[in-house]
Amino acid sequence: MTKNNERPICHRAEDLVAYLYNEAGEIDAQDFADHAEQCDACRSELALFRQVHESIVLWRNEALGTFSPASQAADLAGATGSVEHVPHERKLSALQALRQFFSISPLWLRGATAFAALLLCVLALVVISRSWRPPAPVAKNSAEEKVYTATQFHDAVEKAVNEKLSQSEVSAQKSPNVAASQGQTKLPNQRASRRELANNSVLTRSRGVRGLTRAEREQLAADLLLIPGRDEADLPFVFSEEPNQ
Amino acid sequence: METATSDEQIVERAVSGDPEAFGEIVRRWERRIFALAFGMLGREEDARDATQETFLAAFRSLRGFRGEAKVSSWLHRIAVNQCITRQRRAKVRNETGLEDEAEKNASVFALPSEISPARAVETTERSSAVRRAVCALPADLRQVVVMKEFEELTFQEISEALELPLSTVKSRLYTALRQLQMRLEKFGEPAR
Repeated sequence: MTKNNERPICHRAEDLVAYLYNEAGEIDAQDFADHAEQCDACRSELALFRQVHESIVLWRNEALGTFSPASQAADLAGATGSVEHVPHERKLSALQALRQFFSISPLWLRGATAFAALLLCVLALVVISRSWRPPAPVAKNSAEEKVYTATQFHDAVEKAVNEKLSQSEVSAQKSPNVAASQGQTKLPNQRASRRELANNSVLTRSRGVRGLTRAEREQLAADLLLIPGRDEADLPFVFSEEPNQ
Repeated sequence: METATSDEQIVERAVSGDPEAFGEIVRRWERRIFALAFGMLGREEDARDATQETFLAAFRSLRGFRGEAKVSSWLHRIAVNQCITRQRRAKVRNETGLEDEAEKNASVFALPSEISPARAVETTERSSAVRRAVCALPADLRQVVVMKEFEELTFQEISEALELPLSTVKSRLYTALRQLQMRLEKFGEPAR
């Protein structure tokens, strides 16, 4: 034995703590108990260390009792000398576990989490607004509900324009004959005269040719057996580009 | 009959992406880790923060857990490191010492209502003396005492958690108990 701080120290210090905390094997425990009967230092320290241990346990129970009043004390009391886990009565959902997790988190962590969530929402909105575009306008045929592509649409327009132009050219070739026949003979009926007039008018508009003169209009009215009144004589035809005289 | 799932199995589930697995680890260990942190830091608020930081650190290093050590050892090692880091930070910031902080918390400890006022005062004073004595221990001795007394770990488990030889754990605990006994004697608290 040696002296330290006016108290003897036995070389079996490690055996002493193992015995104190009931971690010595049966044979070792009996061996140390026999030794302690003979060793004043070990016997004295064993008694003092038990007091210290009891004091720490008292402090622990008081302190941790405030953390979780009922279950904490029960768990700690039931866990002596063992690290087996206490089975849990119920299984929390992920949301509940998360809520429980954050309930004990410091304020800065809660603030940071809220800020991050807000930032995420803003970013999501920005991404969505940038990626969204209004649908391209689609030409619809109301009769057949057919959808055309831009190429088809242009082809169809071009075809229609060509047809119209060819019709106009055909009409232009006929119109001189009509004008000549108007000057010599009367048309057999009103319906034919009206058709010619319409063709002449279309030609006049489409090709930029001037409208009928007053004399031509009077002649045409006479051919159509229309006797214009005094006021009507001054009115221009609808498609005439000639100013009133 | 329900078969309890081991911590190691739960950690494996957490590593493989089970969102609820780590929550189960937290629920299993938060009280023990809190107890360890409280014993190390002597202050409830600090212990809560250290517990939180311990689980956050554990979650971050989850994929690095190889299963070579027990989950308990792994968590305790993280918790002890967190507590030591907090103590160092507190010293750097020149904050109030642990003993003074612990004194501030003396009033928060609840006592059973059936205890007489005189007995309550005596108990509180004795707890306060023990707390001051534990907080005054060097960190390497304090962590062994706390793991033994607060968490009731075996010497072998403490040895694994701190990666120390078994004999070192025992000798540190012996030294710690001896210093505590002397400090309590100085505080006038050894005899009951």
